[in-house]
Amino acid sequence: MPDELLPDDLLIDRLAADLKPVRPRTNGRDGLLVGALCILELALFLLTGAMRPDMPVAMHHPSFWWKLTSLGLIAAVSGTASVVSFHPAGSPRRGIRWVLAIVLACLAVGWGLDSGRAGWAALDARLDWRHGVQCLVKMLLLALPAVAGLAVLMRRGAPTDRSGTAWSVGIAAAAWGAFVFVFACPSDDPLYIAFWYMLACLSVAVVSRLLLPVLARW
Amino acid sequence: MAEPDWDRMMQAAQAGDADSYRRLLGEVGAWLRRYYHRRLPPAMVDDAVQDTLLAVHEKRHTYDPARPFGAWLGAIARYKWIDRLRAMKSHPSVELDENLPVPGHEEAVSSAVSLERLLAELKPAQADVIRLVKLQGFSIMEASHRTGQTMSLVKVNIHRGLARLSAMIRSRNDAG
Repeated sequence: MPDELLPDDLLIDRLAADLKPVRPRTNGRDGLLVGALCILELALFLLTGAMRPDMPVAMHHPSFWWKLTSLGLIAAVSGTASVVSFHPAGSPRRGIRWVLAIVLACLAVGWGLDSGRAGWAALDARLDWRHGVQCLVKMLLLALPAVAGLAVLMRRGAPTDRSGTAWSVGIAAAAWGAFVFVFACPSDDPLYIAFWYMLACLSVAVVSRLLLPVLARW
Repeated sequence: MAEPDWDRMMQAAQAGDADSYRRLLGEVGAWLRRYYHRRLPPAMVDDAVQDTLLAVHEKRHTYDPARPFGAWLGAIARYKWIDRLRAMKSHPSVELDENLPVPGHEEAVSSAVSLERLLAELKPAQADVIRLVKLQGFSIMEASHRTGQTMSLVKVNIHRGLARLSAMIRSRNDAG
């Protein structure tokens, strides 16, 4: 907001005098930047030897592919919605609705995969609190590069629905962090995955929703 | 809404052409003045126009030449409009404009009509207190006496009414 009102003509003269050439932002370039950052993070993560040792066996479990495709899909859709909403005329709302539908569909598939298991009796053992908290912390850390990258682009862009965009960014980054963690996570129990992964994603999304609208105010 | 030349002028401005930019901002400024006169109390229009011109300047790199300038500008103008409505929540009232009937009378009337149309979509209790406190400059206590609502309820209804107005505007693809 201008501190002191000038006549419009004077303000316009000042803005024109301050004009410097700029490179127009495009959704495609922002998408490529985010994609490159995410791929780099995944590559570095795998290069550190963090991949689960029983990966060949895990790849035969439907639940491994369930968590990988679910999180990849959620990250892709919410990431796209985020980048689109960095343009003033773009809205994240439709993308968020799609993401919610995908999450519900993924949970339904997970429920189907879980139906053959022992049931809810061993809930405490299945949720495995000690390992669950460790997984939660790792997913939060793995979400940080994507949150930071998307936050920089959000701040540089001109989102006109800052709270919606912040939700979208938080969901995208959280889903990506969880996607990367899938390669290290030793559990293929759908209940464990649904609980701890959703908790991690919700945590990142809520913190993003609280912080990013303030950081990206314009 | 946009002149056909605006797309071209903005592209030239992004390349550093100050003359095109000055001409574009002049036309955009006039368009914004009409836009806000239909949507804001007269006392807020100057500030809103200049705030939006500054936003256009700061965010000019976000204009994608492959897309229409009018949609880009309309989205920024609407965003700043919602900002103004939110700002109304934190200020006791809009200052009354003593010169209201002089040169801008016609625009002030159309502003009132547009605002009235928006207010008509709120609950009557909310619309009444927004009219009294935010547009006519009455205090919370005076509004309370006039409407029979408690002072707390007046504050709550103003807050909720303005939030509802912001949500209504955001949900509409109103670029003109």
